[in-house]
Amino acid sequence: MIRQIHFVSGKGGVGKSFWSLCLAQKSAQLGHDTLLAELGERSYFKDLLRTATPDMEPITIAPNLGLSLWSGAKSLKEYILYLIKVPALYNLFFENPAVRSLISIAPALSELAIMGKITSGPRKHGPAMKQEILVVDAPAMGHFAALLRAPRGMAETIRFGPMGEQSRSIEKTFRDSKLCTFWLVTLPEELPVQETEELYLMLQKEFQIKARVVLNKTIQTKVDLNKKSDHPFDVFLQDQVTRQNTLRKRLLKLDPDLVEVPLGFSDKPWLKNDMVPSQVFS
Amino acid sequence: MKEILLKSKIVVCVGSGGVGKTTVAAALGVWAAKLGLKTLVLTIDPSKRLASTLGIDSDADIVQVPNSEKYGKLYAGLIQHKKIFDDFVLKAAEKTPGAEKILDNPLYKQLSTQLSGSQEFTALEKLYSVYKENKFDLIVLDTPPAQHAIDFLRAPQKLAALFNEKISQWFRDPKGKDSSFWKNMLQAGTRQVFKVLESVTGSEFLAHLSLFFQQIHGWQNKLEERTVEAHKMLVSPQCSFVLVTSFDQAKMLEAEYFAQEIRIGGYHLKSVILNRAYPKWLQGPAEGILPEHQALFGEFKKTFEQKQKDFANFKKSFPAEYHMIPESGEPVSDLEALAQLVEIFEQSEKL
Repeated sequence: MIRQIHFVSGKGGVGKSFWSLCLAQKSAQLGHDTLLAELGERSYFKDLLRTATPDMEPITIAPNLGLSLWSGAKSLKEYILYLIKVPALYNLFFENPAVRSLISIAPALSELAIMGKITSGPRKHGPAMKQEILVVDAPAMGHFAALLRAPRGMAETIRFGPMGEQSRSIEKTFRDSKLCTFWLVTLPEELPVQETEELYLMLQKEFQIKARVVLNKTIQTKVDLNKKSDHPFDVFLQDQVTRQNTLRKRLLKLDPDLVEVPLGFSDKPWLKNDMVPSQVFS
Repeated sequence: MKEILLKSKIVVCVGSGGVGKTTVAAALGVWAAKLGLKTLVLTIDPSKRLASTLGIDSDADIVQVPNSEKYGKLYAGLIQHKKIFDDFVLKAAEKTPGAEKILDNPLYKQLSTQLSGSQEFTALEKLYSVYKENKFDLIVLDTPPAQHAIDFLRAPQKLAALFNEKISQWFRDPKGKDSSFWKNMLQAGTRQVFKVLESVTGSEFLAHLSLFFQQIHGWQNKLEERTVEAHKMLVSPQCSFVLVTSFDQAKMLEAEYFAQEIRIGGYHLKSVILNRAYPKWLQGPAEGILPEHQALFGEFKKTFEQKQKDFANFKKSFPAEYHMIPESGEPVSDLEALAQLVEIFEQSEKL
């Protein structure tokens, strides 16, 4: 039974997948049955971890840790199969060209199906999931906003009937702060921090969600800002640490419990996941 | 890259989010202008500062880039998604009475917003219409932000596939008398399918859907036509694809995948640009670094060397031109900074 859902988002290239993997591994290591879910058509972790290709059903990638790949089309199919239960009818339905077109034409349908799949455990609607902790490696900023807005958009368009109802229940579920945690990953650089602030405020304003913030790749080496040096590397370090300090202050205003991840050089940085606060999963 | 700019009519910059595609597109524009080409940079969603540099922070369609005369003939245009989509639909449907009503259809509203690949469609639509006007020597297109580089190529076909399915037979009455979605569904003898659809979505949704299919009648052929023509334009040898990517494991894997797909699709991937590949100071000597910083410098250097090895392997896998652009530290947003980026390109070319 899913008791926690972690959504991980941020600007492209900040380390969303890295943080998702850290969370999932930490949770699994603490003994919780954990599922890491990627969204879309193509698996990134498959290449990174050199595992088999994941699908709707999870593959085991470590003790207590499953990996799934959820696409909009497959989530929708799964949901409909769950509803109608008769495979013959289901095939008839999906082989119908008009229905196939409908699925691609109603664009929010794919987003809605994915959000439906993510929240299906707690809503007890859809195939059962046995895991306790679900970590969702969510898309970057704009796509993430679209994903969260889809249920409301649908509920406003379609006020009556099962689809409207489902949409409202999905939104209610992801807004439940006891159940869902939203992680925004960012870097100590101006643009990613700016976008994190924007997304943070959007989540707060539109959904009353208070997100957690992760500052990735921070320089932890002691840098004396007053020491004089002409070497460009020293100048870079002093500039970067100064920038980092300013940006950290801005992020602390959003999340006083800001998580910092030190800049690392390992080729498997997610194996060292001690910066994930373990009380997160209690 | 210089040769590519000189020999192409269109340069399409593709790449996944966060790699600096927009900046690279703008810099290629400056470069082409310097080479004497009348150049247009078509961009989507630039940062505020870059937009004001290019002069596209107002509602204007295509403008000459302010203070760009010293570089040559440089123009910029912002792809205004919603406006282009609405214009296209209205133009395509001009012979259909009450066509403008579709703009109020809730399903249309969803289709024409950010979801669904419609952004990719409008980017292509804008590119195609400017290309047809033939007012520029070169058009540089910055593509919509996507999760994966391949999304740009797939989205328009996905949108058009809808109109290949001959679904009008399903959703419209050919005589125009009894254009009831319901009746057609029943006539087609698939009552069961319809029941499932209704149980999943509800009747209100189906009512919107029915109306939608009646309203799009008339512009579906145009859309399909346009997608086919745009595709022809994209596979022509004068249309060069430039993949902008960054220098990490994940992006490299994606680039590899993209390169394969683009080859299969018959497009011309001419250049791969590794943006912000390394910080400038990494090339210099380690002498003179403060002792307490030396260990960290060593780590940076080691990681970079490993990445270079990975990159060498990657390069072998498909033929294209490669550029490594160092990180500048500051966001590139004014014309001088773009011109500096061009100089870096030129230097990288000589190597």
